[in-house]
Amino acid sequence: MMRLPALLRTSVFQLTLIYMALFGVSVAALFAFMYWSTVGFLERQTDEVIDAEITGLREQYARRQLVGLVEIIRDRVRRPGQERSVYLLVDAGLRPLAGNMSYWPPEFDRPAELVEFVYKDAQDMEVPVRARVMGVGNSGFRLLVGREVRELAQLNQTFSRAATWGVGLTMFLALIGGVLVGWSAQQRIAQLNRTTREIIGGDLSKRVPTSGSHDEHEELAVNVNAMLDQIESLLAGLRHVGDSIAHDLRGPLTRLRSRLEMLAAEETPSRAVIEECLAQADGLLSTFNALLRIARVESGAYRSAFAEVNLSEIVRDVCDLYRAAAEEAELKLHCDCVERGLVFGDRELLAQAMTNLLDNAIKYTPAGGRIDVRLTKDSSDVRVTVADTGPGIAVADRERVLARFTRLDQARSRPGNGLGLALVRAVALQHDGVLTLGDNSPGLVVALKLPLVSPRAES
Amino acid sequence: MRVLIIEDDRDVASFIQKGLSQAGWNVDHADDGKDGLFLATTEKYDALIVDRMLPGVDGLTLIRTLRASSNSTPALILSALGEVDDRVSGLRAGSDDYLVKPFAFSELLARLEALVRRAGASSVAAKTVLQVADLRMDLLRREVNRGDRQIDLQPREFQLLEFLMRHAGQVVTRTMLLEGVWDYHFDPQTNVIDVHISRLRSKIDKGFDRPLLHTVRGAGYRLDG
Repeated sequence: MMRLPALLRTSVFQLTLIYMALFGVSVAALFAFMYWSTVGFLERQTDEVIDAEITGLREQYARRQLVGLVEIIRDRVRRPGQERSVYLLVDAGLRPLAGNMSYWPPEFDRPAELVEFVYKDAQDMEVPVRARVMGVGNSGFRLLVGREVRELAQLNQTFSRAATWGVGLTMFLALIGGVLVGWSAQQRIAQLNRTTREIIGGDLSKRVPTSGSHDEHEELAVNVNAMLDQIESLLAGLRHVGDSIAHDLRGPLTRLRSRLEMLAAEETPSRAVIEECLAQADGLLSTFNALLRIARVESGAYRSAFAEVNLSEIVRDVCDLYRAAAEEAELKLHCDCVERGLVFGDRELLAQAMTNLLDNAIKYTPAGGRIDVRLTKDSSDVRVTVADTGPGIAVADRERVLARFTRLDQARSRPGNGLGLALVRAVALQHDGVLTLGDNSPGLVVALKLPLVSPRAES
Repeated sequence: MRVLIIEDDRDVASFIQKGLSQAGWNVDHADDGKDGLFLATTEKYDALIVDRMLPGVDGLTLIRTLRASSNSTPALILSALGEVDDRVSGLRAGSDDYLVKPFAFSELLARLEALVRRAGASSVAAKTVLQVADLRMDLLRREVNRGDRQIDLQPREFQLLEFLMRHAGQVVTRTMLLEGVWDYHFDPQTNVIDVHISRLRSKIDKGFDRPLLHTVRGAGYRLDG
């Protein structure tokens, strides 16, 4: 069980307190309205009856003076069905002259004012009365006219009891609910925190437990888990890269070292061997640079400098750069990209990606072959395909060659570092694009699909 | 020619110093940014080679300070940071060229010579006719002649030749060509530049006794009369 202070600090609980106050006020307002429209209505009705009676008695007095008034009062008191009416006529010394009350209530000082008071009757019963006083003539005589309001008083009492309990219960239930909701939210957050701490502690395989419901906590848990999966796979990738670097760079480094060792032993080092060593060192450096570049592309460092660039211009430029080299290798390089293809990206990166694709195509296509570069677009994307008539890549190997340092057996004899397609893929991903390898039967088709800039404006 | 190397790595500095001395340069060396700035402002140099990360005053600040005091000695930045945005910030600070470590000495020398030459002939951009021996390029009419023979060039070949002619007599490396003609700051794996050069060579040298476009082993190319 959680400690209370922790519960009090949860935002859910604090929210509950606010709701509790709001609910309390609302319920109180509701009761007030109900009071006004029931008890208030009855009171107003009673007052109207009293007022009507006073008006009638005034008329009687005007017509028949005091004697008539006394007569009428006595008559009314005696009449059955008039038990709820209260009358009392007193002289200037407050001595009762007529009516069904035995004494003048001490609360009544000022005339013509509605007052509620409790009157003790002959059986010493407490009777709540609502009454008004009228002056009679100039003699200081006064007449009290009222109604027993026993039911009204009871209703009033019942009502205030109900209101007190109602508001109290509402607040209490809201509090209980708040504690429960806050507690369960706190439990789930605590679970999340526990998992997070375990992961910080080094156990990256931990996941936040999910309950299968579809609420926001579940969504958070699912997202956190997805993020963890991503981090884990990135870390695995990093580890793989580390291993590959160690493996793929150690070979050339070892060769370089043994060459240098041989050179050191020689009396007159041969220039050719030294140049070979230099070439090897350059190869190592270019591998390093390619790795760094991929890492930098993947880190998203270029994205801030992205701008609208015309992909077909880039493709044409690179084709133009490679046409001579292709012809030298007795290949036909055909570039079909007349349409404009505006994409949001980095000219240099896209050019390098195209360069790598053409490098590969020229390297692996036997003499007499053909390389087709084509740019097409639909309403949302622009697609650049580089199709060659080389040996192609088996379906099973296609995913593998996109990873760093993958070199298929037939490529081992050729120069290269196994990073070309990895860079192209990294560039594609950074441009929200897709890189796919397909079959040109015979040969390989590499397709780079990138989203067009504002496709709606162009279609 | 007098050059100041501001570089805290003594191995790199002495490697450059040795190479440049052999190439006939007069070389001074400063270990940190403060000394370098002092030397650069008090002495007269034809070029500066500035490491980007220096103790004291860093390379970019140093060049910015020099430029602010209207010292326009051409400066080449050496840096281990090779990415485009680093390059851009280097050039924006007022440097004239940018070379990424590790570099081949021939590349450094070629770029340094290009820098000094460019600074010496600042009016070169205004020229409308370039001439090397009997090879003549008319920039306005986009025409190239060798002797009395007209040579037809593709637009890109024209640009390539223009770059070489503007750097006539100097070694021009493959990366300099990629940067200057294609505006790419990466190295393609295939040696695409060599193919372009050999095509250009066949157009301007074939059938003439004296070749103009020379290959400089381990460095690049030189157009020379």
